[in-house]
Amino acid sequence: MKPRYNIALLLSILFFMMSCEDFVAIDPPNSRVVSDVVFENDVLAITAMNGVYHQLFQLSNFAGGGIHSVTVLGGLSADEFQLHNTLLYPGLPEFYQNQVSIANSHNLSLWSSAYNTIYNANAVLEGLETSQGITAPVKKQLEGEALFVRAFAHFYLVNLFGDVPLITTTDYTANALAFRVSETDVYKQIIQDLTTAQKLLEDTYRDGERTSPNRFTASALLARVYLFLEDWENAEMMASEVIAAHDLYVLEENLNAVFLANNREAIWQISPVGSTGQTYEGNLFILNTPNNFLTPMSLSNTLVHSFDDTDQRFADWVGILPQDADTLYYPYKYKISFTTEAPSEYSTVFRLAELYLIRAEARARQGNIPGAQEDLNHIRGRAGLENTIATTEEALISAVLSEKRREFFAEWGHRWLDLKRTGRAATVLSPVKPNWKPTAVLLPIPEAERSKNPNLTQNEGY
Amino acid sequence: MKLTSLAGFSCWCPIYIALILFSLPVRTHAFPSAFNLQQYVSGTVMDESGLPLPGVNIVIKDRGAGTMSDENGKYTIAVQDTDILIFSFVGFKTEEIPVKGQTSINVQLEEDVTTLNEVTVNAGYYTVRERERTGNISRVTSEELELQPVVNPLQALQGRMPGVSITQNSNIPGASGTIRIRGRNSLRSEGNLPLYIIDGVPVNSSPITSSGGLLSISEGIYPLNTLNLSNIESIEVLKDADATAIYGSRGANGVILITTKKGREGKTDFNLGMYSGAGRISKKLKLLNTPQYLEMRREAFINSGETPTESNAPDLLLWDPDRHTDWQEELLGHTAFITDIQASVSGGNAQTSFLFGGGYHREDMVFPGDFGYQKITGNFNLNHTSANQKFQTTLSVNYGIDNHKSFNDGLFIQKAILLPPHAPSLYHADGTLNWENGTWTNPLSYLKKSQEVDTDNLVTNAVLSYQLAKGLTVKSNLGYTNLHSEELTKNPKSSNNPASESENSSQHRTTKRQSWIVEPQLTYTTTIGNGKLEALIGTTFQKSMTHVRSITGQGYAEESLIGNLAAVDEQNVLFQEDTEYAYTAIFGRIGYQWKRKYFLNLTGRRDGSSRFGPNNRFSNFGAIGGAWIFSEELFIKKKIPFLSFGKFRGSYGTTGSDQIADYGYYDTYRPTRGTGGLYPTGLANPDYSWEVNKKLEFAGELGFFNDRLMFTASWYRNRSSNQLVGYALPAITGFTSIQANLPATVENTGWELELFSRLFQTDDFTWNTSLNISFPKNTLVAFPDIDNSSYANTYKVGASLNSVLLYQSLGVNPETGLYEVADTNTDGRYDFEDRTVVKDLGQKYFGGVQNTIRYKNLSLDFFMEFVGQDGRNTLALFRPPGRNMENQLPGVLNRWTQPGDQAYMQQYSITSTANMAYERAAGSDMAISDASFLRLKTISLSYRIPSVYTEKIGLNDCKIYLHGQNLWTITRYKGPDPQSAPAGSLSYLPPLRTITAGVQLHF
Repeated sequence: MKPRYNIALLLSILFFMMSCEDFVAIDPPNSRVVSDVVFENDVLAITAMNGVYHQLFQLSNFAGGGIHSVTVLGGLSADEFQLHNTLLYPGLPEFYQNQVSIANSHNLSLWSSAYNTIYNANAVLEGLETSQGITAPVKKQLEGEALFVRAFAHFYLVNLFGDVPLITTTDYTANALAFRVSETDVYKQIIQDLTTAQKLLEDTYRDGERTSPNRFTASALLARVYLFLEDWENAEMMASEVIAAHDLYVLEENLNAVFLANNREAIWQISPVGSTGQTYEGNLFILNTPNNFLTPMSLSNTLVHSFDDTDQRFADWVGILPQDADTLYYPYKYKISFTTEAPSEYSTVFRLAELYLIRAEARARQGNIPGAQEDLNHIRGRAGLENTIATTEEALISAVLSEKRREFFAEWGHRWLDLKRTGRAATVLSPVKPNWKPTAVLLPIPEAERSKNPNLTQNEGY
Repeated sequence: MKLTSLAGFSCWCPIYIALILFSLPVRTHAFPSAFNLQQYVSGTVMDESGLPLPGVNIVIKDRGAGTMSDENGKYTIAVQDTDILIFSFVGFKTEEIPVKGQTSINVQLEEDVTTLNEVTVNAGYYTVRERERTGNISRVTSEELELQPVVNPLQALQGRMPGVSITQNSNIPGASGTIRIRGRNSLRSEGNLPLYIIDGVPVNSSPITSSGGLLSISEGIYPLNTLNLSNIESIEVLKDADATAIYGSRGANGVILITTKKGREGKTDFNLGMYSGAGRISKKLKLLNTPQYLEMRREAFINSGETPTESNAPDLLLWDPDRHTDWQEELLGHTAFITDIQASVSGGNAQTSFLFGGGYHREDMVFPGDFGYQKITGNFNLNHTSANQKFQTTLSVNYGIDNHKSFNDGLFIQKAILLPPHAPSLYHADGTLNWENGTWTNPLSYLKKSQEVDTDNLVTNAVLSYQLAKGLTVKSNLGYTNLHSEELTKNPKSSNNPASESENSSQHRTTKRQSWIVEPQLTYTTTIGNGKLEALIGTTFQKSMTHVRSITGQGYAEESLIGNLAAVDEQNVLFQEDTEYAYTAIFGRIGYQWKRKYFLNLTGRRDGSSRFGPNNRFSNFGAIGGAWIFSEELFIKKKIPFLSFGKFRGSYGTTGSDQIADYGYYDTYRPTRGTGGLYPTGLANPDYSWEVNKKLEFAGELGFFNDRLMFTASWYRNRSSNQLVGYALPAITGFTSIQANLPATVENTGWELELFSRLFQTDDFTWNTSLNISFPKNTLVAFPDIDNSSYANTYKVGASLNSVLLYQSLGVNPETGLYEVADTNTDGRYDFEDRTVVKDLGQKYFGGVQNTIRYKNLSLDFFMEFVGQDGRNTLALFRPPGRNMENQLPGVLNRWTQPGDQAYMQQYSITSTANMAYERAAGSDMAISDASFLRLKTISLSYRIPSVYTEKIGLNDCKIYLHGQNLWTITRYKGPDPQSAPAGSLSYLPPLRTITAGVQLHF
């Protein structure tokens, strides 16, 4: 080889060595934002928090209101719905029959989406913690919101599955092998998250819309948590706090307004903006044609028969589809099943009526009969019903719970959770569910999860 | 032939050998007689470069006496003055030299490029003679490919190469198949793609994903469809370390080199070929008739203690029980016509040559309606050499556009099979779709949701080379690829159940892939001692850009407007992703051969890839390969004269894999569909690094009787460690996987055998046959602490990655009438802890047999593909009988009806309990059965019209032929297609049985 070629070769190799490091360093894609950047300024950090709420409005999310949501699956597990066509969703009858298999995809979806939500909340919390560029008020607000969301997801997990892993970091190496934690400890964390959130959040809504939680939202969930833990005193106190916020919240006189976007009864709503024009509840529940596999469920006869003839809620919130054989009744709280217009209804998570009923029960449990009656009568009055005739503690509790069934049917599995916490699931459900077993009060830990985390144990009966 | 044993195949071999021996020309050796010794001639035999050639046969013409050159190419022979010496050596032109009084005759033999042994194979950055290669490279040439009426070039390779397993699950034209070169190396199912190189340009071979529909079943459209099968000169597959290490980080899963046809000097040659034919699905399932179906459904309700209602059983209460339709015939039974036209012209002189060609291919689908696939391809090749031979350039352009028109329903085939036999008629009398008052979904409604994919694909390459000095050449390879695919899915209102609300909408998906590559190289060739040295050093700079965007449009006023985004009410960008991939490398090779017998090949590469975090971007790979052609040794030549060729070779080295998502190491957020939101895309791990694949191979190649019988056996062992996986995580971590390296080791080992023989070889009659068979074995060798990992219940150490863990079936319980599986750990529940039966669904052996028989102008080619494997049987393909409005196989008639029954099928039932029992049985060893098959993949009969006739009409050559594809299959498998059995689904379209007739003309 002649010397000049040697030099050329050497030079080209040197050139290569120098340039290749830079050559393979590429910028992040235009479709994503690197997380360090996300928490550098207020605007992006708020966007990240909004993203958490947007993710809740997913068909596959436990909070979405669709086929995989607590609303549908909790309602089926209890005595709210009946199924008429399961062609498209063969996993639903398992909930209806209280025989959920370990491989049920709806069950896995409930579990996974709740933990994904928790991850998203933890990611915001960790991002805020390490960030330098975010102003103090925004940081405080977002931290409160993220803590609330984390508590919210844990609440449904612990109620549906019993002992569950408690996830407070994004560190997958630890989380991947997490053990189930006792219900008591999960609730402890929920209360801690919510009380901190109460301190951090403002009374007002962040951007005028009721889609990001404010302080009262944290109080509302906390009231429910105390009620579930039978801490009647605190439940009453938290409920009172929300009820007292008259400037923000009043019961909507018009029942048809209760699920409209940003109505005055709503405490926290999940918005379909940007995804669809309607809520998943409206899309799934409203029956236009008999036996359509896209709308597989209708209201159960026992629920339909529990309404008084004069109950305005039956008139406004129950839709009727006449059929040859028998008439089908369906939830008509959300009026829009499909539209391409901008959404006018938001999926409502917390509304004032629940706080009245929480306080009514808490007061009754503490022997405050007139107080309980007053709260209950707010709800009955709005529905066009006479005042309650219940006068004993026992009768009032029972009246509150059956009022709650009629007020909150097809919403967030209220019925299922209430039946379980009051120990009435077996008595109420075993007559209507031939396969009822006491172990059905908890859903199975999804097999896919247990197979990936050897530390997850299974619930009894599965 | 019994497929489960190999006895059938191996018994062929002795027959072949016997045939060969029988057909060998009788050869007698005359030995030099003692008289007439008058003088001696001696000398040296050399090749063109002056290297001595040992083992050259030197015989005296017409006398038969002879000798052989020694180690140093020297010989001495006793001759008479009038004798003529004949020097012959495999791979060289035979030389005749009269003695004429000379006592010393030195001969330089000229290499003969036409003989079989001198076939050169493409090794990517360099070429190597077939006989001299140190690595494992399989080759398929155009003759084996061009007649096949398939769209996807891969499909044409099925069964033809040892160690290369190609599975086409869905036979929708244009759909992607799966190729595995020597098994699955990666735990990630998506990390096993080989590297594709077309004329030196790497091409992204991952399927173009579809937003839904028929194509999404097979992951999408195969990006190489737009390559013209007829324009492929050869396809080489590089398998072992020696061949693949020069591709470094991208060679772990093997390399596929596609070489397109080149122009040749000579008279301008026009080439025209066309064929046309028709195909139908190769298998329809026999299903229950209407009375049997109705009985099943009624019994299911009775067994479950439920009363059928109009809601849950319209098939029992509302539909006409006297109807009967063969839905498979109606919906999948149409004839698919195929047309293919090819034309090319080539020519040139010693300095410049060209080839210019084009093709058109069209085929229909078997569904009712106007669905099909068509492509138009064009190719251009130009070669130029300067007058002084120093400068050379080659330009290749391959361009293709194709159109795939189907519909947006991935489960259509399954639906057609499962539809109750008395389901209502498809149309009303007035021609509109019959929805039977909303009690069913008319299958034709899905066909109205049309989906069209238009793709255009350009692959261009230029090679410039200049000889700087003797033996020293500088060269650069420049490549550019551009693929653009547009998918439009229409969802007209009329395709939806009129009872439910909907509107006209459309979905648009755009995929763009662009890449360029520059590879400057220096090659140097010289002679050192008795050997030849070839050295190569080069660098690679490559960049790829990918753009994927999906848009929906809603609210078209008119169905005819669907697709025109200007006419929508609302337009939503579902997502848009632009990614970039940068890759750079320095690579080199040193090849040395000594005395044409000993070969050593060293290759290496240092790679950098943008897919890894800053700390792990670069890595080194390399291999050593060696070969010994022992048949060149004099003692072998003398002792085993019928052994015409014998070689041992071996190689060892490392390759890598960077087949992971771009940007995986970045912790990122993605915008939500809802406005003003960002959400985390996944868990990030900045520290993952390259997967390492260590390959070891030993092989022997033998040729007998002048290479009329060739035999090759290769043994390989590939171990890939530092497994780069989307490590499966429980959802409690927020996501279900993280990109990470696992200390796990996967081993692929196996034997590959090839046999080729020219059974008969006379002027009028030739019969060539070749057989290849591979015995792959995949094992997860090590996985430290697997029990505490998320893979604890997916893989077992010591078992194959293709294994599935199953319940142990106990059949139908005679008391309950339901399927039962063993509760292995007797904890009273059925879960993964009870799934202890391990079944390997990988291929146990696979291969093919090709026969080419020619008698005068008539020739018959047929190719059989065979695979030995287990697959998921019909129990896993169907759902519990009677539960849904779904038809079943007649096998379900043998069901449990009353306590005490011993039955194959559990009781008909609609309960969840029965469903769960069935699901468990479908996940048990009962659902696995033999899915081996032998398929007559291709057969063609062709006739070459004698030149006396063709010349009269100005043709140089004319061939007419009949070709059959997938004509018959022998299998014990009961499902639609044994090939897709390991994947197990009713949604796959079985292969078409196709017959075509065609003509090829040269003028």
